[in-house]
Amino acid sequence: MAFHTAQDMRTDLAGAAAHVTDGALVALGGGLSARLPMALVRQLIRDGTHDLHVIGSAHSIDVDLLVAAGALAVCEESYVGFEQDLGLAPAFRRAAQAGDLDVRESCCDTLLTQLRAAEMGVPFLPVRGIRGTDIPTLHPEYGEVTCPFTGETLVVVPPLRPDVVLLHAPLGDAAGNLHLEQPYVLDERFAMASAAVVATVERLTPTTEVVAAGITIPAHRVAAVAEVPYGAHPSSCYPAHPYDRAHLAAYVAQAATPDGAAAYLERYVRGTDEAGYRREVGEERLAALREWDVSEPRWRKAFA
Amino acid sequence: MTYGIDEWFVTALARTIRDGEVTFHGFASPCAQVAMHLAKRTHAPRMLLIEGAMYALDPTPPFIPPTSNDASLGHGASYAMRFEEFFDAAVRGDVDRMFLSGGQIDRYGNANVTAIGGMPRPKVKLGGGGGGCNISATIGALTLWSTNHRSGRCLIEACDFITDLGHRTPAGTRAELGYTGGGPQWLVTELGVFDFPDGSARLRRLFPDTTVAEVRAATGFELVVADDLGTVEAPSERDIALIREIDPLGVRRQEFRAAELDRRFDAHAGTPTGTVP
Repeated sequence: MAFHTAQDMRTDLAGAAAHVTDGALVALGGGLSARLPMALVRQLIRDGTHDLHVIGSAHSIDVDLLVAAGALAVCEESYVGFEQDLGLAPAFRRAAQAGDLDVRESCCDTLLTQLRAAEMGVPFLPVRGIRGTDIPTLHPEYGEVTCPFTGETLVVVPPLRPDVVLLHAPLGDAAGNLHLEQPYVLDERFAMASAAVVATVERLTPTTEVVAAGITIPAHRVAAVAEVPYGAHPSSCYPAHPYDRAHLAAYVAQAATPDGAAAYLERYVRGTDEAGYRREVGEERLAALREWDVSEPRWRKAFA
Repeated sequence: MTYGIDEWFVTALARTIRDGEVTFHGFASPCAQVAMHLAKRTHAPRMLLIEGAMYALDPTPPFIPPTSNDASLGHGASYAMRFEEFFDAAVRGDVDRMFLSGGQIDRYGNANVTAIGGMPRPKVKLGGGGGGCNISATIGALTLWSTNHRSGRCLIEACDFITDLGHRTPAGTRAELGYTGGGPQWLVTELGVFDFPDGSARLRRLFPDTTVAEVRAATGFELVVADDLGTVEAPSERDIALIREIDPLGVRRQEFRAAELDRRFDAHAGTPTGTVP
C-alpha cells in the first residue's frame, strides 16, 4: 500500500501485465458486464501467468477466461456468471465441479470489510451476517469475537491486501490519475487496499481533462497505466461503449466444452495480440458499439 | 386483452412492496427489477427505488437491459450510491426490503445460490450469492421468488448449502443468531404466493390455473395451506400496460421456462388494493 510517486507511469500492455507475478493476490476491477479489465486478463493468459488468487464481487468472463486458461488457483469472488440472460459460467462451473479450482466463495460486504481493514491497517473488522450460513465452511480464516461493549457475538474477518488491482478506465493521464464512471463497484476500495493499481485506459489524456471529468483513482496509487482502446471489451466502458452481448453469448455457447473454450482462447487470446483481437471481433462491429448514444433506439438495439 | 404469467408474476412481486419503503434488488433479477418499477408507478410512489448493481436512486430507465449494471439503469437518476454506501445502509438496517431468489429454497426461506450438491465438490456450481449472505441478515423484510417451483427441485426439504438466511438455520433462529432483519415475508412462485407466519412457509394465494395438489407435488417440504387461501390478485389493464412500457425487451420472460409462458389470462379492469399479492 505504498505511495507511487513517479511522474510518468505510462507503459504498454505487456509492461502493465508484468506487474502481476505468479501466485499473486489479484483484485479484478469493475463487475458483471461493466469495465472488466479484459485486455490485462488476456495479456496475463498470453504470458502464462499462473496460480493466481483472484478476489472481487460479481464477475463474469474475466474470471471464466482465467479459469479456462488454467491461470487460477483460488477464486474468492461473490459471484461468477452471466446473469439470467446467459446463465452459468461454463469454465468456472466445470473446474469447480471437477475439483480443479479452490472456490472460496465470498460475499460483497465481507470483501468490502476485508479491504477496509487493509486500508485502515487493523488486523480484523467485524461483519454482519454469515453466522448460520454455510459460507464459513469455505473460510477457516474467519473468526468470532464477543463485543466488549454489547456482549454480542460477531464474525470477524482479516484484511485482504491485494498485490495488485487490475482496472480499465475510460480516461487516464501519464501520471496515472484515473477517471471512472459509475458503477465504481469495489474499485476505489481496491485501489486503496492494494499494493499497486495497474490500469489500462480507453484514452490517455492531459491531466486537465481527467481533472475536469473527475479523478476517481489518484495517481499516487497507480504503478502502471497503458492506453488500450477496447480494453474492457466485451464488457462495457461507458461513455465509450456498452457491452457486446452477442460476443458474450457466443463465448458462453462456445466455452460449454473444453475444446470450445480452448478454441476461443486460441483465436482471441493466445494466438494474437490486442490489435489482432480487435480485428477478430471486427473493427466495424466495434465502431458500431461506439454509436450507442446516437439515439435511444440505437442504445436499445445493443441489447437485442 | 390477454396477458402472460410473467406479467401476473411481476405484479404479484410488486404488491409485496409497501409505499415508502427503501427497496433493493440484486443482480440477475429481471422480474424483481420490473416489479420495483411497476410498484413505483402504481401503489408505491414514495418508495425509494435502489436499482440493483447500479445503486442508482429512482432512475427512469428507457428499457430494462439484460444485464444488471448497464448505464441505462442509471438513466434519469440524479444520484447513484457508492457500493459501500449501499452495503453500509443495508447492514445497519436502513433498507426495508430486498428481493432474493435461489436455486433451492427451504420452508424457512433459506436459499442456496452457491452449489447444488454442496461444497467443495458441487454437482452443479451456481453463480454465487453476491451480498445476500451479509444483508439477508439485516434488511427489514425479504421478498423471495422462484420461477422454478414446478420442477420440484427448488422448494425442497433442506438446502444443500445455505447462502442466504431465512427465519432459522440448523445453527438457530434469527434471534439466536443476533440478526436484526425481519427475514422472508413473502415467497412468490409461478404456482402461488407463500407467507411466513411463525417463520415457516404457508401457501396463501394460488394462480387460478393451478391446484393445491400441483403445488404439493412440486414442494419438497410439508405443504401448509392458509385457511383463507385465495387467488393471486390479478393485474389491472394499467399494470399490464406499464409492465410492457417498463420492459419493452421482455427480459422478465428470461426467468421462465418456455412452457410456463404459454399460460395466458384474460385481463379485467379490477382495482388492486396494493397490500397483499
